[in-house]
Amino acid sequence: MRSNSVGWLFLAPTLLILFIFGVVPFLYVLVIGFTQWNSFAANPDMQFAGVENFRRLVFDDQFLYSLWLTLKFAFFAVVSEIVLGYFLAQLFMRDFPGKGFFRTIHTLPLVIAPIAVGATWRLLTVPGLGPLPYYLNRWFGYDFNISRYIDQAFFTTVVMDVWHWTPLVTLTLLAALSSLPKEPFEQAQIDGANRFQIFWHITLPLLKPAILATVFIRMMDALRTVDEVWMLTGGGPGAATRYIGLHIWRVVFPKTDYGYGSAMSLITLYLTIVMCWMLYAGLVARRELKRVD
Amino acid sequence: MAPVTITNVRKRYGSAEVIHGVSVNIEDGEFVILVGPSGCGKSTLLRMVAGLEEISSGDVRIGGKVVNDRPPKDRDIAMVFQNYALYPHMTVYDNMSFSLRLKRRPVSEIDSKVRHAASILDLEKLLDRYPRQLSGGQRQRVAMGRAIVRDPQVFLFDEPLSNLDAKLRVQMRAEIKELHQRLKTTTIYVTHDQIEAMTMADKIVVMHDGVVEQIGAPLELYDRPKNLFVAGFIGSPAMNFIEGQVSAVNGQPAMTTDDGVVLPVSVPRALLQTGQRLVYGIRPEHITLGEGGPAAHVSVIEPTGSETQVFMKLGSNPLVGVFRERIALHPGERLGIRLDPGKAHLFDKTSGQRLA
Ligand SMILES: Nc1ncnc2c1ncn2[C@@H]1O[C@H](COP(=O)(O)OP(=O)(O)O)[C@@H](O)[C@H]1O
Ligand SMILES: [Mg+2]
Repeated sequence: MRSNSVGWLFLAPTLLILFIFGVVPFLYVLVIGFTQWNSFAANPDMQFAGVENFRRLVFDDQFLYSLWLTLKFAFFAVVSEIVLGYFLAQLFMRDFPGKGFFRTIHTLPLVIAPIAVGATWRLLTVPGLGPLPYYLNRWFGYDFNISRYIDQAFFTTVVMDVWHWTPLVTLTLLAALSSLPKEPFEQAQIDGANRFQIFWHITLPLLKPAILATVFIRMMDALRTVDEVWMLTGGGPGAATRYIGLHIWRVVFPKTDYGYGSAMSLITLYLTIVMCWMLYAGLVARRELKRVD
Repeated sequence: MAPVTITNVRKRYGSAEVIHGVSVNIEDGEFVILVGPSGCGKSTLLRMVAGLEEISSGDVRIGGKVVNDRPPKDRDIAMVFQNYALYPHMTVYDNMSFSLRLKRRPVSEIDSKVRHAASILDLEKLLDRYPRQLSGGQRQRVAMGRAIVRDPQVFLFDEPLSNLDAKLRVQMRAEIKELHQRLKTTTIYVTHDQIEAMTMADKIVVMHDGVVEQIGAPLELYDRPKNLFVAGFIGSPAMNFIEGQVSAVNGQPAMTTDDGVVLPVSVPRALLQTGQRLVYGIRPEHITLGEGGPAAHVSVIEPTGSETQVFMKLGSNPLVGVFRERIALHPGERLGIRLDPGKAHLFDKTSGQRLA
């Protein structure tokens, strides 16, 4: 009993911090989500509104569009990161001159703050100033303008995310690849598999847990991207890159619609949890199978 | 089925050479065992035959064709690894059928081949299991089943039994041998265990530090080891070695140990030089009891029921004797022994080579 209470004592500071900064704000948002509270409204006081905010959300085109954009963004970003990260991981499994150097600089984006990444990419791409639009125009006659063209803005945010986060995928897949047993691969060669067949029938299934875990982490991260995109495009042109985080920010801060913004956050949280749970279920189902013996 | 010819094969890792020109001829359908202490290059040689390691120089021929530059999949071989190398994410059935599925054989043919192999190996009830749900012995069988369904030119085994417990090892030894008698596929089998080699092989290749020490039938190696290494490696308990110098008794050649024990030898005098250093080898079962010979002192007695092992000292040389009869002995006791010169092996000390 004594050792038990001592244990709690040691945990107490962490739990306290977690409670104050995690649980309390969450409960606060949960409560606000069910109120009508907007300091610019006719009645600026907080009033209980039941599920009114959630009912409104379902018909809110801007919200739904932003949600759709976010999913699209997360899909393109995460898929590209996994594919690119896998190839880089395979590259780093081999030996080539300058490998150590290249591997080190390749992980540098990971340590840069998102806001700085956003700023860097803005300086690179801002029309009239950035080198990217300038040279694309000069060498290829390509009109690159992320404040004008919707698709260019969207894909630039994707590319920026890929630039920032692929190293993480590379590192996790590299760790997974180097921990794989060598023999099944040799056996597959002897069994007559070519490179692609080895990849498809052996590498991919053996890497599946690592890939799923990485998708899981990257997905959650991509769904809540705010600062980078905010720096790069500010959500524009129009609402073309106004991902859900930015959208919620706009509703809550400039428009001060606290109740509605909180409801949006809750729905987004719910959707994120459902998606991650589905990924997680896929992951855990595999683990359960493994424990059978 | 095909003969395998290894001609003057070398393997270098960077500047370090680990296989120094090995040549072995393996007849069609033969069961050949590569045996040698750990690190002598057996696996490396086998992997070069399989195509998993590049051959630095020399030739490997399978069925008469040089296969040096062919990838493993074009060599028509099957291999069983020490840790079985089963595909962890596939059932036993899928593991066994994988190579046939890659070749896009008809489903009915795959199914009959897998079931046939499973029945040979007693795996029928396990076809739906995953490797993690199998015991070591069962995994071992699946690995063999995977090789059998291929019906390859050559089977390669790399210490397939070393992860099994002693009892299972003896059982699998017999099963592999029986399997070979049934399929008659050329087999190259690597082990560090000389008992495995003696019991299973048609032909044994003894390797040591990247060179072949001797090639021959099991009993040939046992009866006429070419050098000290083979003499000491083959046989359990190992051959006794006694060092000494050439001398003569009554005009007959003999060897005198450093403690002055005189052992008559049956080697023509022409092969010996005065003062030459010799090693006298005698197998434990060739030491017999009886007076008239040298006297040894008993240090430890180990009765196993069927036989008695006696550890003794002849002068300062330790000797092991194995006796079929049950003898009542006590440590420290004096024991009259006879070493049959006809059964003794004589080696030159400096070259390690057999004399006559
Ligand atoms: N990839 C490698 N690089 C360098 N040396 C190696 C490599 N693989 C094996 N060796 C060396 O080659 C020798 C033979 O190894 P191996 O064939 O595995 O021995 P065995 O199977 O007889 O125990 C050993 O001395 C080992 O250290
Ligand atoms: Mg080995």
